[in-house]
Formats: sequence, C-alpha cells, structure tokens
Amino acid sequence: MIYSYITPRKKSAFTQEIQLLLSFFTITLLMLFFTYTFLLYKNYVFVEDKNYKTLAKANLEKSLAEMKAQIHFIQEQELLSEKISTKNTVLKDSISNLFDLVPTRITLSQAKLLTNGLILYGVTPNKDIYNFMLQAPLRSIFHRTYSSFYPAQNGWLHFVSTNYIDKNEVSHEK
Amino acid sequence: MLDTFLEALYNKVFVNILVKRSSTDVYIEIRSKKGVIDHCQESFDTTILSHQLLEFINSYTKESPYFYISFLDISAEQGALPTCEKNRLGFYGDVSASEYKCHDKKWTYYTSKTDLYVMEKRYAKIGVDFVFSPYSVLSNFFKDKIPTTLAMYILIQDSFISLSIFDNGALLYAQQLDMETTSEDTDEILTSIEEEEISLDIEQSINLEDIDVDDDIMQDLDDFGDIEDLDSIEDIDEFSQDKDLDEELADAAEELAVEEPHEASFNEDYQRFSLIQASLNHFYNNEKYDSTFVETVYIADGAGVSSDLKDYLEEEIFLNVYLRRIDINMEVCELAQRELV
Repeated sequence: MIYSYITPRKKSAFTQEIQLLLSFFTITLLMLFFTYTFLLYKNYVFVEDKNYKTLAKANLEKSLAEMKAQIHFIQEQELLSEKISTKNTVLKDSISNLFDLVPTRITLSQAKLLTNGLILYGVTPNKDIYNFMLQAPLRSIFHRTYSSFYPAQNGWLHFVSTNYIDKNEVSHEK
Repeated sequence: MLDTFLEALYNKVFVNILVKRSSTDVYIEIRSKKGVIDHCQESFDTTILSHQLLEFINSYTKESPYFYISFLDISAEQGALPTCEKNRLGFYGDVSASEYKCHDKKWTYYTSKTDLYVMEKRYAKIGVDFVFSPYSVLSNFFKDKIPTTLAMYILIQDSFISLSIFDNGALLYAQQLDMETTSEDTDEILTSIEEEEISLDIEQSINLEDIDVDDDIMQDLDDFGDIEDLDSIEDIDEFSQDKDLDEELADAAEELAVEEPHEASFNEDYQRFSLIQASLNHFYNNEKYDSTFVETVYIADGAGVSSDLKDYLEEEIFLNVYLRRIDINMEVCELAQRELV
C-alpha cells in the first residue's frame, strides 16, 4: 500500500454465485464424463464379448466341420468294414464251401486264392476220384479248370488244380 | 494466474465515498483497461450507510467483482508529522494509538486506530478497501509545487481543514482543523464578530414602521370601511392591490432567506481564517517545529469557499494566496487507482 492506511480486501472473480455455478457445472461434467467412461467400458466389454463369441463360433464351426468329416470318415470306415466283413464272410463261406467240396479221400496240401482264381495242391489216390469227386464241382464254379498230376512215392498222385473265373463273366455276375 | 486473467476481463469499479457534515457524496468510476467507461456522482442527505446509499453503491458494485471502496479519512485525530523515524515520532505527539504511514521516507501521516475500526464497522455492509489521508490528497494535488516551494498548503473540506507547511518537499508542520470544534480564542473572535454582524443586521434590517408601504396599507384599511361594498365586484382592483402587497412582503422575506447562506458562508470563511491563523501562530510559537516565515499559501478548495477567505488571508496575515478548486472525490479515486498499479 502506498497511500492507504488499510489493505484492500482480496478480490476474486469467483464469487459465491460463480462458485455455486461452477460446482454445478463441474458435477454435471463429471457425471457426463463418468457416464461416457462407463459407456466406453461397457462398449469395450461388449466388443470383447462379441469377438470372443465370434471366435468361439468360428471354432465351433471348425470343430463341427471336423466332426462332420470324422463322421463321414467313420461312416465310410463302417461301410468299408461292413464290406470287408461281408467279403470275409463270403470268403469264409467260400473257403468253407471249398473245403466242403474236397472229399475225405483227397488230401489238400496247399490252396492259393487268387483274385479270379484258385490253385489247389494235394494228393489223390487216383485220377478218377479226383475227376469225379473234386474236378466236377470245381468245373461248376469256375469257368476254366486245369489239372496236372505227378506221381507220389507211395503210388498216389500229386495234383495241381488251377481254376479261373473269367473277368467278363465276373462283371456280368456283378 | 487465472485470477489475473479474469481480472483483465472485468471492469474495475471505483467507489469513492466522501462523508461531509450532513451529507455523503458518492463518486463512482468504472474503468476498463482502455480507460474510464462511465462515471457518476450522487449526493445523499445522510452521514450513515442508509438503504438508498447502499442500493446505489450495490447497483454498480454488482457489475464487477473487482470493485474498490475508498474513503477519505474524516477522523479528527489525524495529522502529519515531519519525520519518518519511529523514535522521533514521539517527540511530536503520541502515536501509540494511531495508524501511521511514511510518505516518501520524508514525513508521516497518521490517524486514530479507533476511528479506522469504527469506519470499517460502520461500512461493513459494503466493505472498506482504502482509507486515504487528506494529506496524501493534498501532496498529490500540489505535487507540482510542494517539492520546489516553501508554502502553506491547505485542503478545505466541508467540515475539516487540513493544513500543512512544506519547505521544498520537507514537511515542517501539519494540523487537522475541525470546523465543528473551535478553540476558545476563535470562539471569542467569532463572538465579537457575530455581535458586530448582528448590530449590522439590525441597522440594515427592514424597519416595518419606516416602510412607505404603510401609507398604502392605511389607505387600504380605510377602504375596508366600505365593507358592505364587498359584495359588489366593482372594487376587485383593490383586492389585487392587497395581493401585490403580500407578494412584496413575500419577496422581502425570500430576499432575507437568500441572504442567510451568504452569511453562513461568510461566517464559515471567517471561522476557517481564524483556524488557519491560530494554527499558523501555533507553528510560529511552538519550538518543536522549524519556524520559517511563510509567505505563500496554496488552497485546495473542496468546499466552495468565497473570496472572503482569500481576502482575509491576504489582508490580515499578508499571505500570497493561490486558490485551486479541487474535486476531492476524483483525487481520492486517482489515489485508489495508483494503489492498484
């Protein structure tokens, strides 16, 4: 103070009215800010959730496709197994039938199953037994049958019977 | 920082209150950075903070939070001392109960702490920001003369006279003179003067017996003898003559009434002269002060004195008198603005 006996009161633009007004504005702005922040957070959570769900959906779709592929593979395997089983059954029946065809007096030493044929090795007491009791049924099954004999040491005959089913005939049958 | 920025945006309102003997002058100046935007002055017939005064001030102060209420100190116990050294202040008077400030490290002005407290309490509703000494106003008003001249400087207010004697910027003597409490000597002088004035008044007063109008009145009274004729409208002119007489008497009374303020002014000017003379004598006679012969007096007239005072000072004390009209409110306002620089 240069001249005055007393010091002036401190002046401020922030009067009580202004302070009240600013308080209200501040509270309003804070509320808006918090609401905005809350919405931002919720939006973020929602987007995250959406991404997670999308990813899970994609994974599920992927696993679903895999499972479908597996099901298809299993179904195919099942079909194959059924086919093999049927073939085995047929083979088993065929072998059973084959062995049923062989008379008790002829002894088989070896049998080779070919795709379209059957080669039998064995011993027969004589050609007649072979011709009547084994060759006749084989001729009824196979289209072509070839037999060859050579004598064994005990006076019996070793035989080799080669039997074929023609392919054309097989496809016809199919 | 923010306050400084906001302060630049707002206008400043300077409210200067000058309490007079029976009224209060309020001068308001609204200033922006560029200068004065608006100013007004209003006088209220009260010496307290009345409702109207409060409303008037509030109507301006509510425009800006940066408003400053300034007062000119009216304490009777104020004055100025010719030193700034605290250990020498006691030599001139007891300042233990006073608030004092040093001016330019040359002289000190002081006032009563109690009066300051009372003023702050009285105007608590509007608050008090600045209280200025009349000596500050005086030194500021005569700043072109004080540093280079030996003279007496007087600030005349409605009810106070602030007298000071400066010798080339150094204060020699100062006294606050109260118009309402005069000294015994002054009373005696005034009494003798008043008696003279009264006798003068008697001599100059209108003697009704000597008035020529009497003859006319008697004539008019004679005319009243024909009271019966009042019913007739023929004598209406005589009534108009009576009316003229009344008007003349009323005019005479008005003239007397008009003369009264002049007499009051005359009395006040003489009272002022007497107070100044007594104070000057005190300065010459008191050994405390460096007595130097004063030839010149500069008067800052804030009350509207007549030329009588000048005549008295010139003829009775043989002083060279220079009278300057001062608008105290504006000077106080200027001081308030300087405080904020």
